[in-house]
Amino acid sequence: MKLEVGYIDIKGIRFGDYNAVEDGILIVNPEPLLEPVLEDPLIKSAHFEIATPGESIRITPVKDVIEPRVKVEGGGGVFPGMVSKVDTVGSGKTHVLRGMAVVTAGPIVGFQEGIIDMTGIGADYTPFSKLHNLVLVMEPVEDFKQHEYEAAARLAGLRTAAAIGELARELVPDETVVYETPTIAETFKEEWKDLPRVGYVMMLQSQGLLHDTYVYGVDAKRTLSTLISATEVMDGAIVSGNCVSACDKNTTYHHQNNPVIHDLLAVHGKKINFVGTIITNENVYLDDKIRSSDWTSKMARYLSLDAAIITQEGFGNPDTDLIMNCTKLEKQGIKTVIITDEYAGQDGKSQSLADADELANAVVTGGNANEVVVLPPLDRVIGTLDYVDTVAGGHAGSLRPDGSIEAELQIITGSTNEMGFNRMSAR
Amino acid sequence: MIIGELWRLTPGGEQETLHTSKFQIVTNNPMVAEALGERCHIVFLEHGSDRDVIETVRDLVHRHHRVLTAPLAGSVKPWETPYRSVMVSVSKGTAIDATSLELVEFALMVIGQSRERLETTKPSIDRDFQTVDLSLIESALPSVEAIGRI
Repeated sequence: MKLEVGYIDIKGIRFGDYNAVEDGILIVNPEPLLEPVLEDPLIKSAHFEIATPGESIRITPVKDVIEPRVKVEGGGGVFPGMVSKVDTVGSGKTHVLRGMAVVTAGPIVGFQEGIIDMTGIGADYTPFSKLHNLVLVMEPVEDFKQHEYEAAARLAGLRTAAAIGELARELVPDETVVYETPTIAETFKEEWKDLPRVGYVMMLQSQGLLHDTYVYGVDAKRTLSTLISATEVMDGAIVSGNCVSACDKNTTYHHQNNPVIHDLLAVHGKKINFVGTIITNENVYLDDKIRSSDWTSKMARYLSLDAAIITQEGFGNPDTDLIMNCTKLEKQGIKTVIITDEYAGQDGKSQSLADADELANAVVTGGNANEVVVLPPLDRVIGTLDYVDTVAGGHAGSLRPDGSIEAELQIITGSTNEMGFNRMSAR
Repeated sequence: MIIGELWRLTPGGEQETLHTSKFQIVTNNPMVAEALGERCHIVFLEHGSDRDVIETVRDLVHRHHRVLTAPLAGSVKPWETPYRSVMVSVSKGTAIDATSLELVEFALMVIGQSRERLETTKPSIDRDFQTVDLSLIESALPSVEAIGRI
């Protein structure tokens, strides 16, 4: 598949009485954008706020982060099966509003989490502090059912991002990059025959309420492992329905900008032969875990891979899937590198993962989510601080009287991302 | 306290099967006991800790039952949620299932690590933790009910 991605750089967002992108500035007229959001009977209120890099702003609790994109040419539309009708994406031309995101915020469950600080030490830990954020703050009606409201909030964010993306349809991109993925037959061509055949195994969180991922609108827990083109992922074929574990959840933005995919494509045909991407789920039921990891290893072998990179989402139960995927590939002679994060205790001395195997001997870490950080008080809060004491990584007393927060890194959205899309590294 | 029995004796002295499901759930979550009590046998550890749940599961594993769902929670960390539900086979094998034992022992180790952490639970969010724990175990139901035997 061949996808031409045109990047339009966004340098600012402001409110106005019409919706447009002019000279790199997104002008937002809230009313027409909020109208479809408020049509949902589960959403009591919704409004937009703007957060600019460097401003003294704390956004919390964050549900999802989404990059506005629009299909300009080629089949389908963005977020197929969710916002656009089900149709294969990943070919043709897509425009991206780069440097901004639609951030959905507001309460869903009492221990929900996710902080994006736009300045200070907290900002250093999240990649989203570097974006111009249009924050969609929503509030549910009383007596809502969480799974129904999660769907409403998820769709509201995706629809808003699609509507904003639509503004870029006629624009001239600041930069255009062509991404191309080969067919299986092409991967065997003569000039690549000496390059290692590398695949990407992308694990998708799929454990029920607040833990789900959708592929072309299908709940990932109801699928077997399968193949997907890297360019389909760029067009929003995979979206997040995950609300928990801020530090290591893969938001929709992470999927759209998956760094493993981008880095593998960058060296494809030069250092490696990037053969394909396998998506697999992280289910609760043990036989599902065994079946999905069996299927992943079968496909890796079918693709004649020499090596694979495996990325994860979440902690605990998914560590079992991670180790199953890793060991089953290794036992077939396929070398693996896993990207994960660690819960090694505040002192870093505890075992990092909830599962382990000696075959998992090449690990890239996104950082220790238990590391304690003190976030300074900021001038303005978008959303509410009501949940800071109860979110993952926070604890009773996390929110101090002066507005500062002492908590573990896991409270920060994207801080220890397991695709490697984060700020922490060890080189 | 245990809600639900696998069978009971009728006044006539006959054994009456109450649950024909192939799985049972060990839980300390009252919402799971209430929502799924009609569907399967529930070993309900009222006021039990997550450790009590896993240790009860371990006892069942030693009696040759198989663990059917991963004993650790999903992205909700062990030190955040007090609730845990694990699905276990009703039938017994002829020996201890090694995978099941490995999983519960690992889960106990992880929970052991979490004991040193600060308490994060507030009564006001108790119901939300129950809801998510119920959802996690409910997500396994289509898979477990799709097959005729375990």
